[in-house]
Amino acid sequence: MRVSFDWLKDFVKVAATPEAVAEKLTMLGLEIEALERIDGDVVLEVNVTPNRPDCLSIMGIARELSAAYGIPLAFPDLNVVSESKELDFNVEILEADLCRRYAGRIVHNLKVGPSPDWMKKRLEKCGIRSINNVVDITNYVLLEFGHPLHAFDLSTIRGHLIRVGTPKVTTGQSNMKFTTLDGSEREVSGETLLIWDAERPIAIAGVMGGSDTEVTEKTVDIFIESAYFEPTSIRRTSKTLGLKTEASYRFERGTDLKALKKALDRAAMLMHEVAGGTLYGKIDIYPKRFYPKQINVRYERIGRLLGVKLSEQEVLDCLQGLGLEIFECNSEGFKVKVPPYRGDIAMEADIIEEVARLYGYDRIPAELPKARLGVDSRKEIVSAREIRHDIRESLLKCGFDEAINLSFMGAYELDLLSIPAEDARRKLVQVRNPLREEDAYMRTTLVPALIRNLIHNLAHGNRELRLFEMAKAFIDIDHNSLPEEKERIAALYYREKTKTLYKDDTPDFFVVKGIGDAMFEGIGISGHSYVRSDEPFLHPGRSANIMIGGSKAGFIGELSPAVIEALDIKAQKPSVIVMEMDLGAIISLSKRDAIYKQLPKYPFVERDTAIIVDARLQAAEIIGHLKDHASGIVEDVSIFDIYQGGNIGVGKKSIAFNVRYRSPEKTLTDQEVEDTHKVLVDYILEKTGGQVRI
Amino acid sequence: MSENLKRTFLDEVSSLKSLADAANLRVKYLGKKGIITAKIKSLSSLSPEERRVAGREINELKQFIEEECERKESLLKSAELKGRLLAEAIDITLPGKAVSFGHEHPLSRTLREVVDIFTRMGFDVQEGPEVELDCYNFEALNIPKDHPARDMQDTFYISEDIVLRTHTSPVQVRVMEKKKPPLRFIAPGKVYRCDADVTHSPMFHQVEGLMVDKDITFSHLKGVLIAFIHQMFGPDIPVRFRPSYFPFTEPSAEIDMGCILCKSAGCRVCKGTGWLEILGAGMVNPKVLENVGYDSEEYTGFAFGMGIERITLLKYSIDDIRLLFENDIRFLRQF
Repeated sequence: MRVSFDWLKDFVKVAATPEAVAEKLTMLGLEIEALERIDGDVVLEVNVTPNRPDCLSIMGIARELSAAYGIPLAFPDLNVVSESKELDFNVEILEADLCRRYAGRIVHNLKVGPSPDWMKKRLEKCGIRSINNVVDITNYVLLEFGHPLHAFDLSTIRGHLIRVGTPKVTTGQSNMKFTTLDGSEREVSGETLLIWDAERPIAIAGVMGGSDTEVTEKTVDIFIESAYFEPTSIRRTSKTLGLKTEASYRFERGTDLKALKKALDRAAMLMHEVAGGTLYGKIDIYPKRFYPKQINVRYERIGRLLGVKLSEQEVLDCLQGLGLEIFECNSEGFKVKVPPYRGDIAMEADIIEEVARLYGYDRIPAELPKARLGVDSRKEIVSAREIRHDIRESLLKCGFDEAINLSFMGAYELDLLSIPAEDARRKLVQVRNPLREEDAYMRTTLVPALIRNLIHNLAHGNRELRLFEMAKAFIDIDHNSLPEEKERIAALYYREKTKTLYKDDTPDFFVVKGIGDAMFEGIGISGHSYVRSDEPFLHPGRSANIMIGGSKAGFIGELSPAVIEALDIKAQKPSVIVMEMDLGAIISLSKRDAIYKQLPKYPFVERDTAIIVDARLQAAEIIGHLKDHASGIVEDVSIFDIYQGGNIGVGKKSIAFNVRYRSPEKTLTDQEVEDTHKVLVDYILEKTGGQVRI
Repeated sequence: MSENLKRTFLDEVSSLKSLADAANLRVKYLGKKGIITAKIKSLSSLSPEERRVAGREINELKQFIEEECERKESLLKSAELKGRLLAEAIDITLPGKAVSFGHEHPLSRTLREVVDIFTRMGFDVQEGPEVELDCYNFEALNIPKDHPARDMQDTFYISEDIVLRTHTSPVQVRVMEKKKPPLRFIAPGKVYRCDADVTHSPMFHQVEGLMVDKDITFSHLKGVLIAFIHQMFGPDIPVRFRPSYFPFTEPSAEIDMGCILCKSAGCRVCKGTGWLEILGAGMVNPKVLENVGYDSEEYTGFAFGMGIERITLLKYSIDDIRLLFENDIRFLRQF
């Protein structure tokens, strides 16, 4: 809210500079966001929190300053001289729950025209455009008192009657059309509170008037409305219609049930002064009266909540000037009657906040609490956090940069990856009001985001990319309950052949697989294996599912050429490696309790053998056979060379493996090793149908 | 005679060029058929008197030759090693084989720093779901439906009753429902609001904190948060608390720290005020405590929340929040 410093001074004669006042207001909870000098005046931009609708007015802010500086509040003179003539005009409130009070005044024979300069200027400084004197006066009073008013052209109101009610109650309609004064025809529901004359609706209560009853240059008689509408009803209407006005903004936050009469009188006086109108008696229908809330306040409680012991006098001094009625004071505490403009005060803690606010938060001493020790977290939560940390560290050490992407994705991204309809990744959680269509769903996989990151980086000339992300994926269960949130980890590796000094020709797939294995080792997962993957977006010959304990924990592989083409990835090199795993599963399988194994006492002996087998035979199979048949003295087996071509026949390949033998009990003799190795090689040859390469 | 031999030997030694030549020379004099060996053999033809004199002479000569050979060999050996090392020299100014560590995302880094500070103060770490029930995100925190306070947080809706959490505060409620005081924890995590521009991202990170026990006061709130800001940004940073409004705390406060960019002199980032808003906080609203079944007469507590993006942008002078989520490696590798 924009507040003119000059205008403020009409109500509170502060001597302080605008800067000092701004600082004071900020420290009272009315943050001044900007200070602007206009025409020798200063406009303060006040950020009013939603609990303080009373401060959406010059008067409200003046009241705060009055309390803070201890300067009395000057109230404008409200002596309305009106004709006592009996009026043939009635107001009926049909739903008192939605409209607790409705007051109005009739003004005759006024002259609609431009407002005087002083009024125009004040309105403009506060950000409101001048329209004509009648509309301007309602706005002027709105800014001054914080109470919205509406002026109708009296001649357009039919049947000398105003009714307040929803279509449902007034006419039984469940919805209807209504044209507001901005010229738009709007669909209003049966629950919308409207203002009617004898025949038809003439305004959307608390939000906007109708075009038919608008004040124009031809208007001579008006009806000024000043009412109290129920905040939640106004808020619902404003939300449903997508129509937010100065009036609705204040009504939905709560207006002053009592001051609405003063606002009406102030407006009436100005109508007389500025537009020369003749005033008539007030109509005031007030079916649900205001009863002030009473709150008990205990001095002891103030000390216990704030941590500072204030004297009784200090407490009462703080509250002075806020308009609270304090009574039944004793040494334990006192009672407070809350005025109608402070709807935010409803309990003792609210009063304590007022005390703290006026006393000054900065004067309350800072102190570290004495706390009881406690170990709240279960061990598994702590260790999950450690495992996550270790995984992150191992990927960082391996040169992967950490990515953080938004949790959203578009359904089309799953189409591009050819994810089938029955796949769990199609169980989408849809956002009802996304900012962009591409962000309409919560992601079920992290891969699309990493691919987006690849495309972005390629477009900016970054030709080498190692990214990983740890985040949640969201799998819908049944629309009505919370989705399953699954922690995932994903990585993407892309590297173009660049001219480098030192060569390394390891195929990308194996680079990433090696890093994955290192990560597993770091968190104590062993015995995982790789089987061919059927992920539809991966190259079928260059991808694997990562199996841990017999179930799929994730996948690793090269993006299929079809995906590269569909996504229009401008990669110089076709191999983009992606990996994604179920982080929760990995964490639960991690075993990090190490047990020391004695270091070997006796030397080892190694034997290398190359065999020629069918080219389709996979390494894991040979290693599997080797391990199956291993006797007690086989310590380790590894493959160290694969060769095809040359004198190796077509459809065949040579695999060379190394076996390391060692006994825990003695030094092995050559003969023992020779015999064992021969048995092992014969077994492999039998299993694979291969032959020893000579 | 032996003087001649000695001179000849010394000439030969001094002209030696390699270890191989030295070995040959040693053989020539001291080998089985060497000159000295021959001389020793010839001693047997002499009379005992002559043999004694000649024998001593020849033995002295032999010892001399042996010593000289050894000395020369050792010289040649070190010369040869020197030569080899020289030949093996590499261009040590060539670059090393690149080993690049990955870079932690700046948000993770800030988050880790914040979590570390609070865990050092004995705060536990808790988590909660990102897709959250309306009742946890709003109602239990004293934000009813149709309340203007909902405007403070533009919400993404999944259904009428399910939202993307707009803050980490629902974790407060979830934890309090399960545990009795004393409680002292923080809850870091992702949160969502329907807003996107240079300083707002629809997804961002918050850290929520809660401490509930008997006799927890506003003074303690101040003590803990000042300690945090001083640990995070430096011990001399001024801090101020000003009244604000959050439906789930009463009294509520916003906490500003002196602008770290201009040292409180006033700049574009702090809009000339010298202050930067850094945290929201307050004493837990008694209604929130009652909602989870705590006796608000017996227990009091404070809660606070901060945005990790905001701290990160300030800390690293980043001027556009979107950079944090583009994952451009030229950006990521700066941290």
